[in-house]
Amino acid sequence: MTPHNRRAAILDGIGRWVPPRLVTNAELSERLDTSDEWIRSRTGITQRHWADAGMATSDLAVEAGARALKSSGSAAVDAVVLATTTPDRLCPATAPEIASRLGMTGVAAYDISAVCTGFLYALATSAGLIHTGVAERVLVIGAETYSSILNPDDRGTMVIFGDGAGAVVLRAGEPDEPGALGPFDLGSDGEGAHLISVPGGGSRQRLAGRPPEPADQYFAMAGAEVFRQAVERMGTSARTVLERAGWQPSEVDRFVSHQANLRIMHRLADALGIDRGRMISNIARVGNTAAASIPLALADAAEDGTLQAGHRVLLTAFGGGLTWGSTVLTWPDL
Amino acid sequence: MTTTYEKMADVLVEKFGVDRDELRPDVTFEDLEMDSLFLVEFVLTLQSELGLKIDEDAASPRDTLGAVAEILEAQIARAS
Repeated sequence: MTPHNRRAAILDGIGRWVPPRLVTNAELSERLDTSDEWIRSRTGITQRHWADAGMATSDLAVEAGARALKSSGSAAVDAVVLATTTPDRLCPATAPEIASRLGMTGVAAYDISAVCTGFLYALATSAGLIHTGVAERVLVIGAETYSSILNPDDRGTMVIFGDGAGAVVLRAGEPDEPGALGPFDLGSDGEGAHLISVPGGGSRQRLAGRPPEPADQYFAMAGAEVFRQAVERMGTSARTVLERAGWQPSEVDRFVSHQANLRIMHRLADALGIDRGRMISNIARVGNTAAASIPLALADAAEDGTLQAGHRVLLTAFGGGLTWGSTVLTWPDL
Repeated sequence: MTTTYEKMADVLVEKFGVDRDELRPDVTFEDLEMDSLFLVEFVLTLQSELGLKIDEDAASPRDTLGAVAEILEAQIARAS
């Protein structure tokens, strides 16, 4: 067995799933004051998937998780970690149910809450579980039913967010193996907590001493300020991991940022000195799927051949909290 | 007009696909269909072009191009 001080988390399998219901820009334009042209030019999005009534985030997570397990040839793992902003319930966490539904009752299971940075935080903590010997294999899932928290009157968010799930299996291995994750950079800025939020449903609203506003149940985001901060924070975080890894921007073969908005993504690539042609992007087809965004983009790229073994990959994300995180890996032969 | 105004116009035409014929100092960003999200991007682009950190509230959709050019001129003058 690899001694603990040399253990790294190695990417060993990947899977993805989106709910079948497709929502086009045309459909949204019928009920909101917008147009296909407006949505495409501002966000790069042409369609997104939304869950049907009766579905919940765990359903998407189980589908993606099962596919990742199959991809890695694992029947089981020692821990299930779910990154999500839309758990099935506020209590308990959704991961234990996912583990049970995948036939793994008994393993460690918990949720990570870091909005769009959730998957990076989940990768880092899962790598930690492996590094400390708590787990040999971890199933890391990013899953969202963001459609469940969108304000139907908020054009800005209604056109951007979609539902979906992506999952990876991590196993213990050597730090210099293909697929080894790291170094990581993680950060937060709680002074921006108000910029990306669902105000209601928690202790702040419950103990407020007055009834909640109807809008409190919905997701709200200060678009312009978030755009600005996203570019800045992801830029700094990405540069940090590149320096730690000893990679020049020109050596990055594939760049996967959180799929927030195509304009932000292009801006970021330019700022980092990474060719836009090396960006992986599926936002046109699935929209912004928050914590599922990065694993979904990776899974799609692995499937269509955009991502290949040997590629040096940079991952970076920014989200509510505010939070941000980045890591690098050399894509393994999956 | 001023060099700053011309730089702004160039950025709007080249990077944001605005028709040069639509640009006049008394036109607002809103008239050009540039909302606050586009403006963030516009300000970030100008920062690189002008080589200076621009205050976040230098431009809002209701501002005219001329007014913003003057604000930027003042910031450039302070910086040099």
